[in-house]
Amino acid sequence: MRAGRRRLSRDERLAYLILLPALAAVFAIVTIPFVLVIIQSLSTQDGTFVGSINYSRALGNPLLYEAIRSTGVYTLIVLPIEILLGLGFALLVHRTVRRVGLRAAIYVLAIMPLVVPPVAIGVVARLIYAPGYGVLNVILDRVGIMHQEINWLGDPTLAMLAVASVDVWQWTPFVYLVLFSGLQTVPRESVEAAQLDGAGGWAQFRYIDLHYLRPLFVLIIFFRLADVLRVFDHVFILTGGGPGTATQLLSLYMYRVEFKFFDTGQAAALAVVVLVSFSLLYALIARVLPLERA
Amino acid sequence: MRRLGSVILARSALATLALGVAGVLYGFPIYWLVVTSLKSKAELFASSVHLVPHQPTLAAYSSVLIDRGFWVLLKNSVIVCFSTVVVTLVVGLLITYPLTRLPVPARLRVGVLNWALSLRFLPPIAVVIPYFAIVRTLQIYDEPIALIGIYSLFNLPFAIWMLKGFLTEIPLELEDAALVDGATRWVAFWRVLLPLAAPGVMAAGIIIFTFAWSEFLFALILTATPNAQTFPVGVQGLVTQFEIIWNDMAAAGVIAMALPLILMVIGRRYIVAGLTFGVIREK
Repeated sequence: MRAGRRRLSRDERLAYLILLPALAAVFAIVTIPFVLVIIQSLSTQDGTFVGSINYSRALGNPLLYEAIRSTGVYTLIVLPIEILLGLGFALLVHRTVRRVGLRAAIYVLAIMPLVVPPVAIGVVARLIYAPGYGVLNVILDRVGIMHQEINWLGDPTLAMLAVASVDVWQWTPFVYLVLFSGLQTVPRESVEAAQLDGAGGWAQFRYIDLHYLRPLFVLIIFFRLADVLRVFDHVFILTGGGPGTATQLLSLYMYRVEFKFFDTGQAAALAVVVLVSFSLLYALIARVLPLERA
Repeated sequence: MRRLGSVILARSALATLALGVAGVLYGFPIYWLVVTSLKSKAELFASSVHLVPHQPTLAAYSSVLIDRGFWVLLKNSVIVCFSTVVVTLVVGLLITYPLTRLPVPARLRVGVLNWALSLRFLPPIAVVIPYFAIVRTLQIYDEPIALIGIYSLFNLPFAIWMLKGFLTEIPLELEDAALVDGATRWVAFWRVLLPLAAPGVMAAGIIIFTFAWSEFLFALILTATPNAQTFPVGVQGLVTQFEIIWNDMAAAGVIAMALPLILMVIGRRYIVAGLTFGVIREK
């Protein structure tokens, strides 16, 4: 008994001996930039304290609200389309594709877009939408739908759609994979019972599948939102935020303030505002996330 | 019964159609990328755009890798990604080993996991602004180490959650047996636990490698010369030039895509698990 207890306490001590330095180091590496960015946001370039001037400049800049608007529009285009398409595909494959080989092939094809660098996908998008060499205009012309060159990246609305299409292309497979594996947890018995009761495809989805998928929707929204709010790479490659500021999402805007206008004070104030609002958003979603925290 | 039959038929027709459309939407852009990379400069200036290359050549690849010297960026990418994997896995194991194998209060375990999860929501652009100042002060601007540090930090949440999942699956009794036989904790970890966890640790490493390989924003901001620039930064340089050389840009795109796709063949079973912090498991 005494030996057992002594070993336990030695294990505990070992646990803290390993854990504390590692956590302390990571905590410091995370926290130092936070403290620094607050200091930066309250001072000028040369380090004089200026109070809240940077904040009033950052929040008074109409470009900020344009960037927030674009980010909102982008999110509202991309998230619903990805979820609906992903869900549609998951249901379709789950209900019609029975061959194991084909399912495995779809699985492998679906993870491919997820591992490809967004920069490379931006290059692909450029080869499709760009004026001159862009293949979309060529195809529309050859098929005979349009004979006029459309400037996909030159028109604000079209440019936003082009940028959003890249996101949909890359991330719909992720939604599909999550929901498809969710559908496989639906017990066969309840589906068969429902079918015997004469439930159609819709009723089956509405009353059985949806019940199992609901936590996964929260999961998808969490991970997609975390990524959509930080989108930078493919937009930078495809439009650079243009035409004008039509696709200048929040990340691109902040990049411009810091690294094109070299206005560190304003950029730091923006960073603080973004960090605070993202933390609030995170607190809202994280509670309902279906993760195994134990 | 006949109605049911026709429903099934309509469904499978719909499925075939949908899969076909998806196949074109995913296949054609990649086809176009590869085809463009195989064209010669002369063919790019042809009066009409060729959908099939008339004289395929690898000239664009040698132009990108050798003439433009991008092989150096490729080398930087490999160094940065590999170091990131090592640092992230070591720190990740240092945190997850005590959490899963040693007696720690449940509150601490949940607290650390939640904290790691919250880091996943951290917007890189907001972090890079102060990090940039730190990097300048430490005089590691345009050095690979600046990238390795920040990449490790941003991959850590994901590594912690994945490693935690793999370690909890290994029964405690196996290690206990070794300890009873007189092995030290370190030997039990090194000889018993790690070999059992190796496939999972490998998978986490592969996924961290591909994430780091794809990263662009930090690399764009924290590097300036081929001393530390990674491959995606080079790709970007080809894109935003005044006159775009399409075949070079496409060849760079193909190279950027190739390595993650190859690695994915090994790590495919774990990708979705990784992206969802272990919620979705493939069997």
